[in-house]
Amino acid sequence: MEAKMKKQGKIKRFLAIRGMGQVITVTFGLIALCIVFGILNPTFFSSKNVANLLRQIAPIIIIGIGQSYVLITGNIDLSIGSVIGMSCMISAKLMTMGMSPVTAVILTYLAALGVGIANGQLVSKAKLPPFIATLGTMTIARGIAQIVNNNYNTDSIGEAAEGFRNFFYYGRTLNVFNTIWIALALWFVFNFILSKTRTGRHVYAVGSNINASHLSGVNISATTTKAYMVSAFCAATVGLVQTATSGMGTMDAGTGYEMYAVAASVIGGVSTLGGQGILLGTIVGASIWGVLQNGLQFAGAPVAIRNIVIGIIVVVSVLMDVLVRSNKARTLRKSKS
Amino acid sequence: MENYIIEAINVSKSFPGVRALNQVSFNLKVGEVLALLGENGAGKSTLVKILSGVYTKDEGILKIFGEEVEGMNPLKAREKGIAIIHQELNMCAHLTVTENIFLGREIIQNGMLKDKEMGKEAKRILDELNVDIDPDAVVGNLSVSKQQMVEIAKALSTNAQVIIMDEPTSALTSKEIDDLFRIIKKLKAEGRSIIYISHKLEELQYIIDRVMILRDGEYITSMDFKDTSLKEIIAYMVGREIKEKFPRVESHKGKKLLEIKNLNAGALVRDISFDLYQGEIVGIAGLMGAGRTETTRAIFGADPKQSGEIILEGNNLSINKPMDSIKHGIVLVPEDRKRDGLCTKLSVSDNISLPNLDSICDRFGVVSRKKEQEMTEKAVKDLQIRLANADVDSGSLSGGNQQKVVVGKWLARNSKVVIFDEPTRGIDVAAKVEIYNLMNELKEKGIGVLFVSSELPEILGISDRIIVMCDGRITKELDRKEATQDLILEYATKFENKMGKEPADLQ
Repeated sequence: MEAKMKKQGKIKRFLAIRGMGQVITVTFGLIALCIVFGILNPTFFSSKNVANLLRQIAPIIIIGIGQSYVLITGNIDLSIGSVIGMSCMISAKLMTMGMSPVTAVILTYLAALGVGIANGQLVSKAKLPPFIATLGTMTIARGIAQIVNNNYNTDSIGEAAEGFRNFFYYGRTLNVFNTIWIALALWFVFNFILSKTRTGRHVYAVGSNINASHLSGVNISATTTKAYMVSAFCAATVGLVQTATSGMGTMDAGTGYEMYAVAASVIGGVSTLGGQGILLGTIVGASIWGVLQNGLQFAGAPVAIRNIVIGIIVVVSVLMDVLVRSNKARTLRKSKS
Repeated sequence: MENYIIEAINVSKSFPGVRALNQVSFNLKVGEVLALLGENGAGKSTLVKILSGVYTKDEGILKIFGEEVEGMNPLKAREKGIAIIHQELNMCAHLTVTENIFLGREIIQNGMLKDKEMGKEAKRILDELNVDIDPDAVVGNLSVSKQQMVEIAKALSTNAQVIIMDEPTSALTSKEIDDLFRIIKKLKAEGRSIIYISHKLEELQYIIDRVMILRDGEYITSMDFKDTSLKEIIAYMVGREIKEKFPRVESHKGKKLLEIKNLNAGALVRDISFDLYQGEIVGIAGLMGAGRTETTRAIFGADPKQSGEIILEGNNLSINKPMDSIKHGIVLVPEDRKRDGLCTKLSVSDNISLPNLDSICDRFGVVSRKKEQEMTEKAVKDLQIRLANADVDSGSLSGGNQQKVVVGKWLARNSKVVIFDEPTRGIDVAAKVEIYNLMNELKEKGIGVLFVSSELPEILGISDRIIVMCDGRITKELDRKEATQDLILEYATKFENKMGKEPADLQ
């Protein structure tokens, strides 16, 4: 009896986790989508397609994690796509110059974190609107991507980097592509930080009420900057994946990805107003994005139709969020008066 | 029969839980300057908002020029010739003077703005007021007093017959006040009527014909200014007996805990010095805008201070941000719960642990769920916070319970000084008593309590010592034995006299 109660308590606690409701809803949506696409084209479920689909989704999960951190603090990061391009170019350039992949990866991460720190400081210290601040760094990072190799894509990173390419893209561990493992590993680490540590708690608090957090002794600037650093770190990882994929540095890598990251977060229930959302939702949101891309492609829909459908999904999921919230507010008001 | 511009008969207005105006009747004569007086919460602004159509009255009759008006709204009020000039000026800072004057009533021909015509008209009105303002100047670049003149010009351009001014002199220098009074006299000479709301009783003598006093939503009296005195006015404003019972506990006054020396932080915190001893509650009284909240925020480190010392148990503290004062054990329960106190979207447990994460995290910064639960359970039990479970959003609680959560997060650590800023605002009577009991408990434990409140009975009922503030300064420190409502109000309206001794010849 007691064990049963305890179990119920656990389920209740699980459902009470912030934003779990929306995550469950969109998970059902994801399952429904998979079924529909499976019926439309049975090869959708072929092991080859599933493996490819998952590898397609992995980068979106990674940048979705970063963007979710920033959105939960009540800000936005538009520089993600450009940081991907910048990281792709820097890592490739360093490797074509003969640097060992490990050193190149470390230097790439440092450069990207520099952008993250700049974003965080501009938003929290200089008090620039996040949209404008990251629009600026977005343009700068893209410019750096172009300047790295004098406005050309780099040459091939060569045979010495074979291990690098396998680690980030081509290799498999336990018969699953490494990119997917990387996404899962990052998810576990950052989900732990967000849900279990002081830093994570501060991220939610700053997004929920910046005044109250400040008056409770939370360091607003440090927290905001950490969130932007997580975002930049995630973007750099995807940049490295891109380098590994194509075996060279491409200046345009990651163009538009910041919006995919917003889409994944928002579909997964992360509030653009801050303070709400969980990274589990980001996985589901990224998956819906990937399944739609892949499934519609399989079903023979042109790119234009794919874009329109995904755009509609983003708007509808935000609309649902807003409607649910205003409904809640209304019932709350009613019960009070 | 006299010529009334406005006649209100038995007007009432209620908000959930409060009767803001109860059967108020009054009238306003043509060419009269009427001062509307009363304490905070007496119903002045509710009445004024009904006149200007922002609120609709629940019952009663409102006559303008002898004609009964129903369904007032701001547009109708403007058509009827009633204009209001708010304390916080309502203008578009990026637009020019002319554009502001004609905002919403732009002169248009064939879909095109007739800028020239509007500019000319604006200039004519400004000239008539005899003020030196360029109609093409951007309003945001003007001084506050000039912006106020633009508001008056805007009112005149709609041919307003009644102009309501809410605390018009609060941000003005003495020269500017002179100008304003000159214009008020001019408007009066033209037969317009003015309702003048001010806490600065001393200024009244220069312009007022009649005063009308409200208290707790009720009409108290109205009398010609020449037949009364400031003392009498204050007595009418306070005039109530304290009916509520406040739980007071006697406690031994211990050693000196906190000493504030010559604290300066902006215009509303000027040269503040006071002491706080263990086992006492010090109340800070004053009217709206007296600088009480600003003082507490400066002590807590939420706002920057220019100078001054904060000495806790003999140690001179350097407090630059809230984190500093929290570490030293000085904490603040802020005035606006929703804005400054709570993360309403986070759970009760999250809110209580937020400032205390340092004590429940291991060295890697991982929050111990168990310690967090214990901390929350203790706070919920100690403060008797009523909730389903500690994982509900704190925004879903009642006002009193929300307030307890804010207090709870500070009591979960060993704070030495707790500052309460308007802790009982917007919560019901039973919850208020619980908050008083809580303050008393802290006092008995030897924690210093600083208590800001706008409600005189509560300040008198709970505090051991009362500091009265006015316009950013401490005007008096009263022991509770000598403190009375009249005395507090007298010092709370002791503005520095900007006008000089003699009424200037303004005509």
